[in-house]
Amino acid sequence: MNPIYGLNPTGDRRSSMEPVGRREEAAGFKESLAQTVREIDGLQKEANQAIETMAAGEPKDVHEVMIAMEKAGISLRLMVQVRNKIITAYEEIMRLQV
Amino acid sequence: MDLYKALKISGTSLNTQRTVMNIISTNVANAQTTRTEEGGPYRRKIAVLGPAEAPADFSRIFAGRMEMGLEGVEVKEIVADLSDLVAQYDPQHPDADERGYVTLPNVNILEEMVQLMSAARNYEASVTAFNSAKNMILKALEIGR
Repeated sequence: MNPIYGLNPTGDRRSSMEPVGRREEAAGFKESLAQTVREIDGLQKEANQAIETMAAGEPKDVHEVMIAMEKAGISLRLMVQVRNKIITAYEEIMRLQV
Repeated sequence: MDLYKALKISGTSLNTQRTVMNIISTNVANAQTTRTEEGGPYRRKIAVLGPAEAPADFSRIFAGRMEMGLEGVEVKEIVADLSDLVAQYDPQHPDADERGYVTLPNVNILEEMVQLMSAARNYEASVTAFNSAKNMILKALEIGR
């Protein structure tokens, strides 16, 4: 059903927001974490691709390569922070006396 | 909210200023061109900038409801400057008309230099904006440390 809302941007926006809201609640933490990992992987590949096209001599602007590398770097650091938080939470739980 | 929206907007500004720089370079290179494909002398080119438009697909509408107007800048079109051409008396020139006047392009080198400096400063300002946005994101990652 969702692509049908996408095909009519001038339609009633309010009605197109509701079903997505319900879908968002249903997505759990695991799903969003997997999504983050996929996005980071995509950004890393995009940065690699940009560097390769520039090394091969194709007309690619320097700033595009730099922006792609920065985006990949930022998402990697975000991933590291998420990992740190998860491990901290895990250790906290393991410390609980039974 | 898209984490990289600010970075992408700065990226569009960098692309646009590169295009403007190319146009300025073309104007300067063709300042003496009296013969073009359309017949007359070269006419100075001007870039028309406008806000970039995002494709209105479903995920954009959902994720960016409040930010739908903010997409950065892009070169809308490249138009020819319709101001008067310069006529110079030079009967020896192969493109001189019957009275001995050659029509030269309406490219003012000094004005192009000013535009060039403006484009370079805009480029640097966009890079600074990009770095600031990136630092904000990295600072946010330090929450709870």
